[in-house]
Amino acid sequence: MAGSDILVFDRGAVRAHRRRAAAQFAGHDFLFREVALRLVDRLADISRAFPVALDLGARGSVLAETLHGEGVRAARGIATLVEAAPVRAFAHAPLGLVADEEMLPIAPASCDLVLSNLSLHWVNDLPGALLQIRQSLKPDGLFLGAMLGGETLPELRSALAEAEEAVEGGVSPRVSPFADVRDLGGLLQRAGFALPVTDADTIRVTYADAFGLFRDLRGMGETNAVIERRRTALRRATLLRAAEIYQARFAGPDGRIPATFQVVTLTGWAPHESQQKPLRPGSAKARLADALGTTEITTGDKTGPVRPKRV
Amino acid sequence: MAEPTAVDPRLLEILVCPLTKKALRYDREAQELISDAARLAYPVRDGIPIMLVEEARALADSEVRKS
Repeated sequence: MAGSDILVFDRGAVRAHRRRAAAQFAGHDFLFREVALRLVDRLADISRAFPVALDLGARGSVLAETLHGEGVRAARGIATLVEAAPVRAFAHAPLGLVADEEMLPIAPASCDLVLSNLSLHWVNDLPGALLQIRQSLKPDGLFLGAMLGGETLPELRSALAEAEEAVEGGVSPRVSPFADVRDLGGLLQRAGFALPVTDADTIRVTYADAFGLFRDLRGMGETNAVIERRRTALRRATLLRAAEIYQARFAGPDGRIPATFQVVTLTGWAPHESQQKPLRPGSAKARLADALGTTEITTGDKTGPVRPKRV
Repeated sequence: MAEPTAVDPRLLEILVCPLTKKALRYDREAQELISDAARLAYPVRDGIPIMLVEEARALADSEVRKS
Protein backbone atom coordinates (compact mmCIF):
# COMPACT_ATOMS: atom_id res chain seq x y z
CA MET A 1 0.00 0.00 0.00
CA ALA A 2 1.43 3.35 -1.00
CA GLY A 3 2.34 5.82 1.68
CA SER A 4 2.60 3.43 4.58
CA ASP A 5 5.94 1.98 5.54
CA ILE A 6 4.92 -0.57 8.08
CA LEU A 7 1.93 -2.85 7.81
CA VAL A 8 1.48 -4.95 10.89
CA PHE A 9 -1.75 -6.71 10.08
CA ASP A 10 -2.73 -8.70 7.03
CA ARG A 11 -6.15 -7.12 6.47
CA GLY A 12 -7.15 -9.90 4.09
CA ALA A 13 -6.51 -12.42 6.86
CA VAL A 14 -8.44 -10.24 9.34
CA ARG A 15 -11.43 -10.26 7.01
CA ALA A 16 -11.13 -13.99 6.34
CA HIS A 17 -11.08 -14.71 10.09
CA ARG A 18 -14.17 -12.60 10.65
CA ARG A 19 -15.96 -14.16 7.70
CA ARG A 20 -15.17 -17.65 8.97
CA ALA A 21 -16.28 -16.69 12.48
CA ALA A 22 -19.61 -15.19 11.45
CA ALA A 23 -21.47 -18.50 11.14
CA GLN A 24 -20.87 -19.65 14.73
CA PHE A 25 -20.24 -16.27 16.27
CA ALA A 26 -23.23 -16.48 18.62
CA GLY A 27 -21.54 -19.34 20.47
CA HIS A 28 -18.35 -17.35 21.07
CA ASP A 29 -19.48 -13.75 21.44
CA PHE A 30 -19.27 -13.42 25.25
CA LEU A 31 -16.43 -10.88 25.10
CA PHE A 32 -18.30 -8.73 22.57
CA ARG A 33 -21.49 -8.88 24.64
CA GLU A 34 -19.63 -8.00 27.85
CA VAL A 35 -17.82 -5.05 26.28
CA ALA A 36 -21.02 -3.90 24.54
CA LEU A 37 -22.63 -3.77 27.97
CA ARG A 38 -19.78 -1.64 29.30
CA LEU A 39 -19.98 0.76 26.35
CA VAL A 40 -23.73 1.07 26.69
CA ASP A 41 -23.33 1.73 30.43
CA ARG A 42 -21.04 4.63 29.70
CA LEU A 43 -23.40 5.99 27.10
CA ALA A 44 -26.22 5.86 29.63
CA ASP A 45 -24.30 8.37 31.76
CA ILE A 46 -24.03 10.99 29.02
CA SER A 47 -27.24 12.95 29.10
CA ARG A 48 -27.82 14.16 25.59
CA ALA A 49 -29.53 12.77 22.51
CA PHE A 50 -27.69 11.10 19.62
CA PRO A 51 -30.24 10.90 16.77
CA VAL A 52 -27.83 9.37 14.22
CA ALA A 53 -25.41 6.73 15.48
CA LEU A 54 -22.91 4.47 13.75
CA ASP A 55 -21.74 1.09 15.03
CA LEU A 56 -18.30 0.80 13.45
CA GLY A 57 -17.13 -2.79 13.08
CA ALA A 58 -20.56 -4.17 13.93
CA ARG A 59 -20.73 -7.90 14.61
CA GLY A 60 -24.33 -8.36 13.63
CA SER A 61 -26.64 -6.71 16.11
CA VAL A 62 -24.71 -7.37 19.33
CA LEU A 63 -24.41 -3.67 20.13
CA ALA A 64 -27.90 -2.80 18.88
CA GLU A 65 -29.44 -5.52 21.04
CA THR A 66 -27.51 -4.36 24.09
CA LEU A 67 -28.51 -0.72 23.54
CA HIS A 68 -32.12 -1.78 23.21
CA GLY A 69 -32.07 -4.30 26.05
CA GLU A 70 -30.66 -1.77 28.52
CA GLY A 71 -33.19 0.86 27.50
CA VAL A 72 -30.35 3.14 26.45
CA ARG A 73 -31.36 3.36 22.83
CA ALA A 74 -34.57 5.16 23.81
CA ALA A 75 -32.95 7.11 26.65
CA ARG A 76 -30.24 8.49 24.36
CA GLY A 77 -32.66 9.21 21.52
CA ILE A 78 -30.91 7.04 18.95
CA ALA A 79 -33.38 7.14 16.06
CA THR A 80 -31.06 5.79 13.39
CA LEU A 81 -28.42 3.17 14.13
CA VAL A 82 -26.26 2.41 11.10
CA GLU A 83 -24.24 -0.81 11.34
CA ALA A 84 -20.95 -0.78 9.46
CA ALA A 85 -19.92 -4.44 9.49
CA PRO A 86 -16.46 -5.73 8.56
CA VAL A 87 -17.86 -8.56 6.41
CA ARG A 88 -21.12 -9.28 4.60
CA ALA A 89 -22.22 -12.01 7.04
CA PHE A 90 -22.33 -9.52 9.93
CA ALA A 91 -24.39 -6.92 8.02
CA HIS A 92 -28.17 -6.86 8.08
CA ALA A 93 -30.66 -4.71 6.16
CA PRO A 94 -32.05 -2.11 6.38
CA LEU A 95 -29.25 -0.15 8.05
CA GLY A 96 -26.30 -2.49 7.58
CA LEU A 97 -23.40 -1.97 5.23
CA VAL A 98 -19.94 -3.44 4.76
CA ALA A 99 -17.01 -1.10 5.33
CA ASP A 100 -13.30 -1.11 6.04
CA GLU A 101 -12.43 0.75 9.26
CA GLU A 102 -9.40 2.20 7.47
CA MET A 103 -11.54 3.65 4.68
CA LEU A 104 -14.81 4.91 6.08
CA PRO A 105 -17.62 5.49 3.57
CA ILE A 106 -19.35 7.95 5.89
CA ALA A 107 -20.06 11.58 4.94
CA PRO A 108 -18.28 14.31 6.92
CA ALA A 109 -20.27 15.68 9.87
CA SER A 110 -23.13 13.21 9.43
CA CYS A 111 -23.20 11.30 12.76
CA ASP A 112 -23.97 12.33 16.34
CA LEU A 113 -22.32 9.24 17.75
CA VAL A 114 -19.81 6.64 16.60
CA LEU A 115 -19.57 3.48 18.69
CA SER A 116 -17.02 0.77 18.08
CA ASN A 117 -17.02 -2.52 19.92
CA LEU A 118 -13.70 -4.46 19.71
CA SER A 119 -12.86 -3.73 16.12
CA LEU A 120 -10.11 -1.12 15.91
CA HIS A 121 -7.28 -3.26 17.29
CA TRP A 122 -6.88 -4.89 13.86
CA VAL A 123 -6.38 -1.60 12.05
CA ASN A 124 -2.94 -0.83 10.58
CA ASP A 125 -3.44 2.92 10.36
CA LEU A 126 -5.11 3.74 13.66
CA PRO A 127 -4.37 7.50 13.48
CA GLY A 128 -6.00 7.56 10.03
CA ALA A 129 -9.01 5.56 11.21
CA LEU A 130 -9.50 7.87 14.22
CA LEU A 131 -9.22 10.93 11.99
CA GLN A 132 -11.91 9.57 9.67
CA ILE A 133 -14.14 8.80 12.66
CA ARG A 134 -13.71 12.36 13.95
CA GLN A 135 -14.53 13.76 10.51
CA SER A 136 -17.70 11.67 10.30
CA LEU A 137 -18.99 13.29 13.51
CA LYS A 138 -21.09 16.44 13.67
CA PRO A 139 -19.66 19.19 15.89
CA ASP A 140 -20.03 18.04 19.51
CA GLY A 141 -20.54 14.47 18.31
CA LEU A 142 -19.17 11.65 20.46
CA PHE A 143 -16.81 8.78 19.70
CA LEU A 144 -16.97 5.95 22.20
CA GLY A 145 -14.94 2.92 21.27
CA ALA A 146 -13.45 -0.16 22.92
CA MET A 147 -10.49 -2.08 21.61
CA LEU A 148 -8.17 -4.75 22.95
CA GLY A 149 -5.07 -3.31 24.60
CA GLY A 150 -1.43 -4.36 24.88
CA GLU A 151 -1.93 -6.42 28.00
CA THR A 152 -4.29 -8.82 26.29
CA LEU A 153 -3.61 -12.56 26.57
CA PRO A 154 -0.20 -12.33 28.29
CA GLU A 155 -0.53 -15.96 29.38
CA LEU A 156 -1.04 -17.19 25.82
CA ARG A 157 1.75 -14.98 24.54
CA SER A 158 4.34 -16.45 26.88
CA ALA A 159 3.11 -20.04 26.54
CA LEU A 160 3.23 -19.86 22.74
CA ALA A 161 6.64 -18.19 22.66
CA GLU A 162 8.11 -20.80 24.96
CA ALA A 163 6.53 -23.69 23.06
CA GLU A 164 7.67 -22.38 19.71
CA GLU A 165 11.20 -21.89 20.97
CA ALA A 166 11.24 -25.44 22.34
CA VAL A 167 9.61 -27.21 19.40
CA GLU A 168 10.65 -25.14 16.38
CA GLY A 169 13.74 -23.38 17.65
CA GLY A 170 12.50 -19.83 16.99
CA VAL A 171 9.78 -17.41 17.96
CA SER A 172 7.40 -15.48 15.73
CA PRO A 173 4.64 -13.12 16.81
CA ARG A 174 1.55 -15.21 17.38
CA VAL A 175 -0.48 -12.71 19.35
CA SER A 176 -1.17 -9.22 18.04
CA PRO A 177 0.95 -6.27 19.12
CA PHE A 178 -1.96 -4.26 20.48
CA ALA A 179 -1.70 -0.52 21.06
CA ASP A 180 -0.50 0.72 24.41
CA VAL A 181 -3.12 2.56 26.42
CA ARG A 182 -0.77 5.52 26.99
CA ASP A 183 -0.28 6.01 23.26
CA LEU A 184 -3.97 6.02 22.50
CA GLY A 185 -4.74 9.28 24.30
CA GLY A 186 -2.16 11.02 22.15
CA LEU A 187 -3.62 9.47 19.01
CA LEU A 188 -7.09 10.75 19.90
CA GLN A 189 -5.67 14.23 20.37
CA ARG A 190 -3.78 14.09 17.09
CA ALA A 191 -6.98 13.05 15.33
CA GLY A 192 -8.52 16.32 16.52
CA PHE A 193 -10.75 15.04 19.30
CA ALA A 194 -11.61 17.38 22.14
CA LEU A 195 -11.65 16.16 25.75
CA PRO A 196 -9.98 12.83 24.90
CA VAL A 197 -10.07 10.16 27.58
CA THR A 198 -8.64 6.65 27.55
CA ASP A 199 -8.86 4.07 30.27
CA ALA A 200 -8.28 0.37 30.56
CA ASP A 201 -10.27 -2.47 32.12
CA THR A 202 -9.36 -6.09 32.52
CA ILE A 203 -11.68 -8.97 31.78
CA ARG A 204 -10.52 -12.31 33.08
CA VAL A 205 -12.17 -15.55 32.07
CA THR A 206 -11.24 -19.14 32.80
CA TYR A 207 -11.22 -22.23 30.62
CA ALA A 208 -10.90 -25.94 31.32
CA ASP A 209 -7.85 -25.97 29.04
CA ALA A 210 -6.05 -23.91 26.41
CA PHE A 211 -7.98 -25.59 23.61
CA GLY A 212 -11.18 -24.02 24.91
CA LEU A 213 -9.50 -20.63 24.59
CA PHE A 214 -8.23 -21.47 21.08
CA ARG A 215 -11.77 -22.46 20.03
CA ASP A 216 -13.20 -19.22 21.39
CA LEU A 217 -10.57 -17.04 19.71
CA ARG A 218 -11.26 -18.76 16.40
CA GLY A 219 -15.02 -18.48 16.94
CA MET A 220 -14.67 -14.76 17.65
CA GLY A 221 -12.57 -14.27 14.51
CA GLU A 222 -9.74 -12.99 16.69
CA THR A 223 -6.94 -15.34 15.69
CA ASN A 224 -3.60 -14.01 14.58
CA ALA A 225 -3.35 -11.82 11.48
CA VAL A 226 0.12 -10.41 12.06
CA ILE A 227 2.00 -10.24 8.76
CA GLU A 228 5.29 -11.24 10.35
CA ARG A 229 3.86 -14.47 11.69
CA ARG A 230 5.50 -17.44 10.09
CA ARG A 231 3.75 -18.20 6.86
CA THR A 232 3.15 -21.73 7.99
CA ALA A 233 0.34 -22.41 10.40
CA LEU A 234 1.26 -23.24 13.95
CA ARG A 235 2.45 -26.81 14.09
CA ARG A 236 0.26 -29.17 16.01
CA ALA A 237 3.20 -30.18 18.22
CA THR A 238 3.80 -26.53 19.10
CA LEU A 239 0.16 -25.99 19.94
CA LEU A 240 0.08 -29.06 22.17
CA ARG A 241 3.26 -27.96 23.92
CA ALA A 242 1.83 -24.44 24.41
CA ALA A 243 -1.32 -25.90 25.96
CA GLU A 244 0.84 -27.91 28.39
CA ILE A 245 2.92 -24.89 29.34
CA TYR A 246 -0.21 -22.77 29.74
CA GLN A 247 -1.70 -25.36 32.06
CA ALA A 248 1.48 -25.91 34.07
CA ARG A 249 2.24 -22.26 34.58
CA PHE A 250 -1.13 -20.59 34.93
CA ALA A 251 -3.74 -23.11 36.11
CA GLY A 252 -5.48 -22.26 39.37
CA PRO A 253 -6.19 -24.69 42.25
CA ASP A 254 -9.30 -25.87 40.39
CA GLY A 255 -7.17 -26.78 37.37
CA ARG A 256 -8.77 -24.14 35.16
CA ILE A 257 -6.61 -21.69 33.24
CA PRO A 258 -7.20 -17.93 33.14
CA ALA A 259 -7.22 -15.76 30.00
CA THR A 260 -6.89 -12.03 30.48
CA PHE A 261 -8.24 -9.48 28.02
CA GLN A 262 -7.35 -5.82 28.40
CA VAL A 263 -10.10 -3.60 27.04
CA VAL A 264 -9.15 0.00 26.35
CA THR A 265 -12.01 2.47 26.09
CA LEU A 266 -11.55 5.60 24.03
CA THR A 267 -13.74 8.67 24.37
CA GLY A 268 -13.46 11.87 22.38
CA TRP A 269 -15.70 14.64 21.14
CA ALA A 270 -15.73 16.43 17.81
CA PRO A 271 -14.80 20.01 18.72
CA HIS A 272 -17.60 22.50 19.33
CA GLU A 273 -17.88 26.06 20.66
CA SER A 274 -19.77 24.96 23.75
CA GLN A 275 -17.05 22.67 25.07
CA GLN A 276 -14.82 23.62 27.97
CA LYS A 277 -11.42 24.73 26.77
CA PRO A 278 -8.50 26.71 28.09
CA LEU A 279 -8.99 30.51 27.99
CA ARG A 280 -6.90 32.59 25.64
CA PRO A 281 -3.79 34.00 27.29
CA GLY A 282 -4.47 37.48 28.65
CA SER A 283 -8.23 36.94 28.92
CA ALA A 284 -8.23 36.39 32.69
CA LYS A 285 -10.92 38.31 34.59
CA ALA A 286 -9.26 38.10 38.02
CA ARG A 287 -5.67 38.71 38.99
CA LEU A 288 -3.66 35.80 40.29
CA ALA A 289 -1.80 38.18 42.60
CA ASP A 290 -5.10 39.15 44.26
CA ALA A 291 -6.03 35.57 44.80
CA LEU A 292 -2.65 34.90 46.38
CA GLY A 293 -2.70 38.14 48.40
CA THR A 294 0.60 39.32 46.98
CA THR A 295 1.89 42.06 44.68
CA GLU A 296 2.02 41.42 40.99
CA ILE A 297 5.31 41.66 39.16
CA THR A 298 4.65 42.17 35.47
CA THR A 299 6.66 40.17 33.00
CA GLY A 300 8.31 43.40 31.83
CA ASP A 301 9.91 43.97 35.22
CA LYS A 302 13.29 42.51 35.88
CA THR A 303 13.41 40.48 39.02
CA GLY A 304 17.05 41.25 39.59
CA PRO A 305 20.05 39.03 39.34
CA VAL A 306 19.51 35.45 40.19
CA ARG A 307 21.21 34.51 43.41
CA PRO A 308 21.85 31.01 44.48
CA LYS A 309 19.15 29.91 46.87
CA ARG A 310 20.06 29.35 50.44
CA VAL A 311 19.10 25.90 51.60
CA MET B 1 -38.62 -11.33 -10.83
CA ALA B 2 -39.00 -9.67 -7.46
CA GLU B 3 -37.80 -6.11 -7.04
CA PRO B 4 -34.35 -6.02 -5.51
CA THR B 5 -34.22 -4.68 -1.97
CA ALA B 6 -33.47 -0.97 -2.23
CA VAL B 7 -30.90 0.79 -0.08
CA ASP B 8 -32.54 2.49 2.88
CA PRO B 9 -32.76 6.27 2.30
CA ARG B 10 -31.23 6.86 5.74
CA LEU B 11 -28.13 5.03 4.55
CA LEU B 12 -28.01 6.94 1.27
CA GLU B 13 -28.00 10.13 3.31
CA ILE B 14 -24.71 9.40 5.06
CA LEU B 15 -22.82 7.18 2.61
CA VAL B 16 -19.98 8.57 0.52
CA CYS B 17 -17.22 7.01 -1.55
CA PRO B 18 -14.67 5.59 0.93
CA LEU B 19 -11.80 6.61 -1.34
CA THR B 20 -12.74 10.18 -2.23
CA LYS B 21 -15.37 10.97 0.44
CA LYS B 22 -17.45 12.39 -2.44
CA ALA B 23 -21.17 11.88 -3.02
CA LEU B 24 -22.46 8.67 -4.60
CA ARG B 25 -25.08 8.11 -7.29
CA TYR B 26 -27.51 5.27 -6.62
CA ASP B 27 -28.24 3.19 -9.70
CA ARG B 28 -31.37 1.28 -8.70
CA GLU B 29 -31.44 -0.78 -11.88
CA ALA B 30 -27.90 -2.10 -11.52
CA GLN B 31 -27.99 -2.00 -7.69
CA GLU B 32 -24.76 -0.07 -7.53
CA LEU B 33 -23.55 3.00 -5.70
CA ILE B 34 -21.47 4.95 -8.15
CA SER B 35 -18.54 7.19 -7.37
CA ASP B 36 -17.79 9.30 -10.45
CA ALA B 37 -14.80 10.85 -8.71
CA ALA B 38 -13.17 7.47 -8.04
CA ARG B 39 -14.61 5.89 -11.22
CA LEU B 40 -15.87 2.98 -9.15
CA ALA B 41 -19.23 1.28 -8.68
CA TYR B 42 -19.85 -0.29 -5.27
CA PRO B 43 -22.23 -3.26 -5.36
CA VAL B 44 -25.44 -3.45 -3.33
CA ARG B 45 -26.42 -6.97 -2.27
CA ASP B 46 -29.89 -7.52 -0.80
CA GLY B 47 -30.05 -3.88 0.16
CA ILE B 48 -26.61 -3.94 1.79
CA PRO B 49 -24.01 -1.62 0.28
CA ILE B 50 -20.58 -3.27 0.03
CA MET B 51 -18.35 -0.22 0.44
CA LEU B 52 -15.04 -1.97 -0.16
CA VAL B 53 -12.72 -0.68 -2.86
CA GLU B 54 -11.56 -4.22 -3.66
CA GLU B 55 -15.14 -5.31 -4.35
CA ALA B 56 -15.98 -2.30 -6.52
CA ARG B 57 -16.28 -2.42 -10.30
CA ALA B 58 -14.14 0.00 -12.34
CA LEU B 59 -16.27 2.31 -14.46
CA ALA B 60 -15.79 2.58 -18.22
CA ASP B 61 -15.23 6.10 -19.58
CA SER B 62 -18.77 6.19 -20.97
CA GLU B 63 -20.26 5.50 -17.52
CA VAL B 64 -18.58 8.39 -15.75
CA ARG B 65 -20.71 11.48 -15.31
CA LYS B 66 -18.93 14.77 -15.14
CA SER B 67 -20.17 16.94 -12.31
